[in-house]
Amino acid sequence: MLLDIVIIVLRETLEASVLIGVLLSVSRHTDINLLWIFPAMILGTAAALFYALSLGEISEWFDYAGQEVINAGMQYIIYALLGCIVCLLFSIEKLRRKYVKGLMVAAVAMAMVREGSELFVFYTAFLSQPGSTLQAATSGFIGLSVGVSAGVIGYYALVTQKPFVAKAFQAVLLVLIGTGMAMQATQLLIQVDWISVNEPVWDSSWLVAEASATGQVLYAVFGYEATPSMIEIILYFISMAMILGSVMLLNFFTKNSNNEVKP
Amino acid sequence: MSKFHFRQLGIPMTRLFGILVLTTVFSCMPVLADTPEFTLTIKDHLFYPSELKVPANQKVRLLIINEDPTPEEFESYELNREKVILGGRRTVIFVGPLRPGEYSFFGEFNMSTAQGILIAE
Repeated sequence: MLLDIVIIVLRETLEASVLIGVLLSVSRHTDINLLWIFPAMILGTAAALFYALSLGEISEWFDYAGQEVINAGMQYIIYALLGCIVCLLFSIEKLRRKYVKGLMVAAVAMAMVREGSELFVFYTAFLSQPGSTLQAATSGFIGLSVGVSAGVIGYYALVTQKPFVAKAFQAVLLVLIGTGMAMQATQLLIQVDWISVNEPVWDSSWLVAEASATGQVLYAVFGYEATPSMIEIILYFISMAMILGSVMLLNFFTKNSNNEVKP
Repeated sequence: MSKFHFRQLGIPMTRLFGILVLTTVFSCMPVLADTPEFTLTIKDHLFYPSELKVPANQKVRLLIINEDPTPEEFESYELNREKVILGGRRTVIFVGPLRPGEYSFFGEFNMSTAQGILIAE
């Protein structure tokens, strides 16, 4: 059971941890105070607790599709928030300073809600068993430590780069994480048949099985699926194209407005 | 000739947008009538039946009933499915269309005991 708890806690914390690591490195490179992480985590923990307490009722909404619909909604919102952050990375400093901190607080808080609520539910069940408190606490701490380490490694790997190199990596990672969130949302809607699918287009489990450690990391961070359907592939590339298109459009208009200002 | 405005219909734009979204969502929702349903029960941290046969190449509706007082998370890497089911509650997930074969699933909160296989044939 000890190893089970470590794996569960690690799986639930990995996604938010990597996202936090990348966003903190963005703060560092754009001279934004890193303290925004504390209100984000407090807000995320409180919302996760509230969501966990309401999960029974929410699950029965829409003919038992409530959990997926709400989770997918949150994932799509995180995708949009990360898309906006990427746009602001390539925008003028005034805009970036004004909006990026609020967007990062919202993205981290929301990313903590789904996985955090699952951890609350798991721990509520586990702690009801007699004599399990110490075991749950120690193995949970190990899982949490490994998950947080991934974010810390990501953070230092990015902040030790030259600013223009780091910015490129941050943008690519945020686009991939954001698109992964959209992919996970699509998978949730498929699970309750709100999006209908046919047979998978390919099976890459021979290369990276979803049950493997690599597969689980890729799923948690980038929404990897070994057997995607056509609709998932299309929606994945549309999500990616929407962020890249927005960056290009914003760049175009920012440059044009700058040119107009010049004498 | 004056231009037409939606305001002339007496419908606020926010409500019109809501109607448009709902119409799109419901028109995308598939008809459930032809989807066969199968039941899985969780009891004493075990799945009953632990081997469930379903038709291949067809979407199926799985009704999962958790008879334990504690929550469980139905999980399957091969089926790409993951869902928390609180104690004493039930839920629904859809799987497939599946190619013929065996697809394992498990209860994430009780991995050592809650194991099962879905056989598509």
